[in-house]
Amino acid sequence: MFLHIFKYELKNGLRTKDLIIWLILFPILLGTCFKIAFGSIYEKTEKFRSIPVAVVDDGDNAAFRQVIESIESADEPFLKATFTDKEKAEKMLDDGDVEGIIFTADKLSLTVKEKGIKETMLKSFVEQYTVREKIVMDAINTAPEKAQEVIASLTSDTASSCKEIPLTQGNPDPYVQYFYNLIAMVAMFGSITGMHITIQNQADLSPLGARNNCSPAPKSISIAACLAGSYIMQTVCMINCVTFLAFVLKVDFGDRLWLVYPSAILGGILGVSFGFFVGSIARVSIKAKTAILMSVSMALCFCSGLMVGNMKAVIAGKIPWFNNINPAAVISDSFYCLNIYEDYDRFISKLITMAVTSAAFIVLGFVISRRKKYASI
Amino acid sequence: MENTVIKINNLVKRYGDLIALDHLELEIKQGEIFGLLGPNGSGKTTTINCLLSLLAFDKGDIEIFGKKMTPVSYDIKKEIGVIMQNVTVFDELTVYENIDYFCGLYINDKAKRKQYVEDAIKFVELGDFRKFYPKKLSGGLLRRLNIACGIAHKPKLIILDEPTVAVDPQSRNRILEGIQELNKNGATVIYTSHYMEEVEQICTRIAIMDKGKKIAEGTKDELKRMIKNTETITIEILDIPENILKEISGLPHVYDTDLSNGKLTVCCSGGKHNLTRVLDVLQRNELSFGRVYTELPTLNDVFLEITGTALRDKEE
Amino acid sequence: MQVFKAMFKVMRSRLPSAMIYVVCFVVISAIIANASTNDNKFEAKRLDISIFDEDDTPESHALAEIIKKSNDIVEIEKDKDTILDSLYYRRIDYALIINKGYADKLRAGETAELFSSYHLDESFSVVYMGQFLDEYVSTVKAYLNMGKSFDEAAASAEQALSQNAKVNMLSRIDKGGNSHFSVDFAGYFQYMPYILISIIISVVSLVLVTMNRKDIRFRTNCSCLKESKYTAQLFIGSFVFVFFIWLVFMIFGAILNREMYTGRAWLAVLNSFIFAIVVATMAVLVASFEPKDNVLNLITQVLGLGMSFFCGIFIPVEVLGDGVLSAARFLPAYWYVKANNMIADITPYSFSEVVECYLIQLGFAAAMIIITLLVRKVKYSGAAISTAVKKKALTH
Repeated sequence: MFLHIFKYELKNGLRTKDLIIWLILFPILLGTCFKIAFGSIYEKTEKFRSIPVAVVDDGDNAAFRQVIESIESADEPFLKATFTDKEKAEKMLDDGDVEGIIFTADKLSLTVKEKGIKETMLKSFVEQYTVREKIVMDAINTAPEKAQEVIASLTSDTASSCKEIPLTQGNPDPYVQYFYNLIAMVAMFGSITGMHITIQNQADLSPLGARNNCSPAPKSISIAACLAGSYIMQTVCMINCVTFLAFVLKVDFGDRLWLVYPSAILGGILGVSFGFFVGSIARVSIKAKTAILMSVSMALCFCSGLMVGNMKAVIAGKIPWFNNINPAAVISDSFYCLNIYEDYDRFISKLITMAVTSAAFIVLGFVISRRKKYASI
Repeated sequence: MENTVIKINNLVKRYGDLIALDHLELEIKQGEIFGLLGPNGSGKTTTINCLLSLLAFDKGDIEIFGKKMTPVSYDIKKEIGVIMQNVTVFDELTVYENIDYFCGLYINDKAKRKQYVEDAIKFVELGDFRKFYPKKLSGGLLRRLNIACGIAHKPKLIILDEPTVAVDPQSRNRILEGIQELNKNGATVIYTSHYMEEVEQICTRIAIMDKGKKIAEGTKDELKRMIKNTETITIEILDIPENILKEISGLPHVYDTDLSNGKLTVCCSGGKHNLTRVLDVLQRNELSFGRVYTELPTLNDVFLEITGTALRDKEE
Repeated sequence: MQVFKAMFKVMRSRLPSAMIYVVCFVVISAIIANASTNDNKFEAKRLDISIFDEDDTPESHALAEIIKKSNDIVEIEKDKDTILDSLYYRRIDYALIINKGYADKLRAGETAELFSSYHLDESFSVVYMGQFLDEYVSTVKAYLNMGKSFDEAAASAEQALSQNAKVNMLSRIDKGGNSHFSVDFAGYFQYMPYILISIIISVVSLVLVTMNRKDIRFRTNCSCLKESKYTAQLFIGSFVFVFFIWLVFMIFGAILNREMYTGRAWLAVLNSFIFAIVVATMAVLVASFEPKDNVLNLITQVLGLGMSFFCGIFIPVEVLGDGVLSAARFLPAYWYVKANNMIADITPYSFSEVVECYLIQLGFAAAMIIITLLVRKVKYSGAAISTAVKKKALTH
């Protein structure tokens, strides 16, 4: 009996066009869009690279040229200077070839186009140069005998005053979390599949449900078989999604990709169970239920950062407990933990959260849909 | 072999203030084709749903095969075949798969099931459509698939809830014949409809329902005997002077006359030679008339007389 | 006009979801318009920094004060996971620890490992703060070497570091000619294609698919209405809808802008109108494939999201990869965005190039119409209806 219903649940599901469209094709589409959008944004805007800058050296400032040269000789220079005239420099800035123009005439001045970290760094560089100039002048004026020493202390000391404590070996690109949330979204879409289980087995929700209720197949077995079938389908969708992201789009999930699969699958199970539970609580039309589930799923995904990346951090600051119960956030967090944390503590606690909530949803769903007779059909 | 298959005792079902079933009593014997006749909203489907333990009811009890029916009476459910009012099949499954699915809920043995499914397909003549999806089937074929899904497991009791709504006459006849065939093979049938012709044609016993009450029950002849009408005479005629109409009304056994739309309707109760007497009056007065026909009472007349409203009027 | 009326009745069913798009878009645009500042003075970027002062001496406090001047201090728990989360989600840009013994070492002129920082990645912020700290330390050391006392040296260093370099903004507003179309307002026009695509394709295609459904088409063909008139009414109906939606956006745009369009802004208006026409022809093309409802939804998403991400609608063109951009040239939205950027002076403006973008978009529209005609020809050439029509044409 179980296997019979299970078999047909699978057949039924795999032929549902909406399922294929929203759980398989849509994530591929959105993933591709995310890849186009966020694939190079981190490299291009946040990760440190030499800042291209144009230098208009009208005053023939030899000292400045020397400083630039010494900076550029470093392994990963902070600046990449191009010496040119004013007109060309402005054209370069306008076209975005350089981030700023440094004018060396009498006093250093800077021209930029935007107000970002790169511009701030250029500003700080200009200031720094001016400060050093001032210090050297001070030294020469006040204590010429020590000038050499002062200059040495400013230039020779290349040992960094700051020691960096590495926090993770994972992929630090924060935009990857859009992909985490994409997987969470697919898992949450599973709630629609889960909802259909209740609709198919409740006499008051659909004629099909009424008919199934008339058969000698016990409801618990029928529901269990449908659940099992839905889990399998959702698992297929999750595997498809992760595989596409990891191998086709080459999204970097850290070095434990093999663990991304089980947590995505568990996320899918959570999504289906969530839909199964929500589907069983209220007696409203299928259309209304679908609308409710879709908007709840999307809202949860929004809170987890599907649309605005740092939403989860904002919520962590305001209502931290919410991230622990928002299924979408828990799912995407599990991938984050896997990527960022060396140890497994938090990852495992996320998995346990998913497993426990799924189990709770299933049990509640069963209890509610255990009802055998209906007040009206 | 007059075993009782279904016994409904004092069944009451309320929807808020509305009483959907009002102290309903029914007894259905083995081998019957039992017709539940009534207009839409009279409580037929509610009765069926209570019978199947889908609906909770306020009062009364239901026994099937001599045992109390509950939602977990799987041994009873095993013997019942249900054909719902709506077509209840999976759009994503083919004709064959749909029948196999529903049959599989009742029968575990695979070889046996295969045979049963084939029998059902043959029975509803859907052999050419095995691999079709329901969306590609016409209305009549879809209804037949719906029936096949309900009877494939060869149940002892078959419940059909308006299986012929929106079906062309040919398919309808095929369905009705099929039901009689199933009955001949030993199944007890409960059949609800608001088409009296169907019920008259196949049912061995009929209950007429209105507003949640059973207002009459018996074989069709028994029902017809309950009312005074025995014959309705219709004559196509253009106009009749008032006095002649009165004369006709005054004829023996005539209890009602009506003249409208160029048709004279004379309702008679018992007696013989009613037609001759009426025509005699017309001839004497040298009135010319067109076609003349007489009808025996129908279930509609029964319903009309008992409730005062026509059953036909309520048809959709 | 019966066909025309029927079209609008069919449209009504899709109107609620279309309205949701419109409302969301307008609300978000309004928020963005209010949040952005319009001044052109350069301001240094303030980083969000957490400081864990393990030294806890007047010297370390002084440093913290200096950092605080040009940055925002964020208090977070000193817990590795919290710090990591905060860094990852960009709640903080930098997590600094002032090591124990900082004051003593600095007094002694030692500069190595005065600080530690929790390190997630090599971002600009990290490099910048590293440079800042080095600079502070070496400045103090330089003053010490000059023979100043530590307190004097620290004070001088603070003073030296607090001087401000003059920064000019290269602004096209200075160059003149674009007070009509600000960058923020250009943003409104930039996001518009996504909404236009979503609404027009989902509504117009749906209506056309419904009106062209086999049974309805057959029934219409049986009526005394001329085929050409029927098509013309469908066309006018679609156009009226598209025009109406476009007009709504233009009116909202004027409200957001708080004044009527002037000068170059009209070029942007024309640009969006041309794009609306392109989308309308796209909708007609999509409808000619007669997709089912759910497939139509997917097509709408593919076109809307796809073009938005590919052509620089959701994210600025400059962060897109070169490969993406060269592919995007084959999509109309690319030319729309290009024209819009030029009109807003985000890229150098040239009237002839803007017109070129218009023409390319119109070219897409023409191509779309030709493909539609071809598709229809292929689809219906075998159908009885069209043969009947042909026969009729031949006999006349």
